[in-house]
This record gives sequence, structure tokens and C-alpha cells, in this order.
Amino acid sequence: MKKPSHECQVVVITSGKGGVGKTTTVANVSMGLANLGYKVVALDLDIGLKKLDLIMGLENRVIYDIVQVLEGECTIKQAVVKDRRNPNLYMLPAAQTRNKEDVTEEQIKKLIAELRKEFDFVLLDSPAGIEQGFRNAIAAADWAVVVTNPEISAVRDADRIIGMLESAQFNNIKLIVNRIRPEMVKDGDMLSIEDLLNHLCIDLIGIVPEDTRVVISTNTGEPIILSQNSLAGKAFSNIARRFTKEEVPFMNLEHNDSFWEKLKNMGRSVFSSKQVG
Amino acid sequence: MMEFAKKRGSSDTANERLHLVLMHDRIGTSSGILEQIKDEIIKVILKHIDVDADPEVNLTSQGRQSVLDINIPLKGR
Repeated sequence: MKKPSHECQVVVITSGKGGVGKTTTVANVSMGLANLGYKVVALDLDIGLKKLDLIMGLENRVIYDIVQVLEGECTIKQAVVKDRRNPNLYMLPAAQTRNKEDVTEEQIKKLIAELRKEFDFVLLDSPAGIEQGFRNAIAAADWAVVVTNPEISAVRDADRIIGMLESAQFNNIKLIVNRIRPEMVKDGDMLSIEDLLNHLCIDLIGIVPEDTRVVISTNTGEPIILSQNSLAGKAFSNIARRFTKEEVPFMNLEHNDSFWEKLKNMGRSVFSSKQVG
Repeated sequence: MMEFAKKRGSSDTANERLHLVLMHDRIGTSSGILEQIKDEIIKVILKHIDVDADPEVNLTSQGRQSVLDINIPLKGR
């Protein structure tokens, strides 16, 4: 492995609630950073419930897992799986038949200290929840990303996680709002980005619109960031660029209006102008 | 005559519910605690001074910080 060209950043991706898109975020942002030329490793810390290998489409290449590395059964080099699409990208899989309690914060800190020597970015896929697995995931991170959906139970859990990160002395916590549907926000039936920022009071690093192609990309193991013309893919690639401190404006999701939506709005404006006239 | 009256979206309700629940989550209380605080405060105050009306006890937030706002109108002589 070649030496990294930048000072390493270790970022934990977390959420509290499950199913909001942590693993999808880790897979896509890792790929995005690798595409920008950074050397990246993504760690699946959901010991016992591994999924990053599947989402990244690397499940057939897995030989060892992170617990075997931590217990000295194999080296880091033996256990990391090299991505088949981008030579800058690596993944360290979780163990499926072990428990989160089999891993300690000290072990994770030691492992990450080693990874810092080799990589520009280390992305940590945290398990859902606030228990040991979460504490392990945040133990060695430099900064944190909280993923949430515009839905009250996800926001409540995100708020709890932000509180815990603040107690753990994190002073750089960024928010990703995943699966937003601009047309529902417009109709007043979905929490808006502004609403979420008002409640959670942290900085935004990404807005990812709902995109049915994410399901397809999960089916095939090809991260959505690799597909052309996908809004979600574009959103993830913008997030990757913001990870590198590049200033990237947030996408205008209004373009996402469907044909019927446009027609409806057109009808409305014609109608209201008649009213006025 | 035909007005497209903007109906109140369900996100307003979501925002109100979230606002309350987050304030209580952050300080680790349930929403019933405010009534209890109100009762206890009025008992303490009444020992020393006359009160004009029931105290208003509200939780508000300043950023991620929760603030207990107590307003007690006192009776003048």
C-alpha cells in the first residue's frame, strides 16, 4: 500500500435509529472519496449484523473479519478487502457470528491508530442503538456524521445521538438528511431541511433525495454514486467533496418535479391569474 | 369564491410534537413534570408572598439548550 498524501481523517457515520441509510452513506461516500483520489477504508462496526460487504458488492471477497484482526488471528492487510472498481478503496468487514461485546474501545483505538498510517480517510459504519457497539464506533473518530430521515422518530433518535456525541467531546458533528421527498415538503406533509436544522441545531453536510434506484443499487451491489443521472448519486458525490472541505452548494431539488407536478402547478398559476384578472 | 385554501400540512403537527418531545428528552423528563413543578412552586411561593394568578411554567429552547421559563404574577398592595 502506498503512503497517504494527506493527514488522515477518521469519521464515524451514526444515527441512533436503524434503517435510515448509514451503511448506504458509508458505501457511497467511501466510493466518492476514492474517486477523488483519496485512499479510503470503510469499517463495518456492526458486529453480528454485517451488511457493508453486501451494500458495497464485496461479499464474495471476504476472507477474514475485524474481530479476527483485533484478536490477532490475521493482519490488517490480510483482512481488508480491496474494491474491484477502485484501487483506492478498501473495506474491513464485520464478524457475523460474534457480538458487539466481544470488541472493546481500546481494541478499536489501537486498530484505527494503525489505519491512520495507511489511509487518507477511515469511515466507520456505526451500528444502530446507543450501546457498546455505538461507543466502540465513536471511540476513535475525529468527527461525526449523523444520518437522519425527515421523520419524527428518526429525528428524535438523531437528537439523542447528538447529545451523546457532545458529551463525548465531539465538536464537529454534521448532519445528512436522507430520503427527503421535495414534493411532500412542498405540500407541507414532510419535515423540511429548515425544520430539521431548527430542531437539531447542527451543520448540514448533505441532502439526499428519495431515489428508487437506491433499491436497485443495493440489489446489484453497485453503489448509486456510480450510476449516471441519479440525484441520490449526485448528492453522495457532493457529500464526499464536502468531506474534503470543498465548498459545494446544495442541489436544487425543485428540478425533481414530476411531469404531473409541473402540470398541476401550471394549472394553479393559470387559474389564480384568472382569479386576479 | 373558489379559494385554494392552503390546508395545514401534517408537518406542522410533526414540528410541534418534535419540539416538545426533544425538550423533554434533552433534560430527561416526561411532559407531566411541568404540572407537578407548577403545583410545588406555587406552594413554596404562597408561604411567603401573595400570588395573583397561577404561575406559567414553560419549557423553551435556545439552540440545543433547554430553559425553564417561570412567570409568576404577584399581588400588589
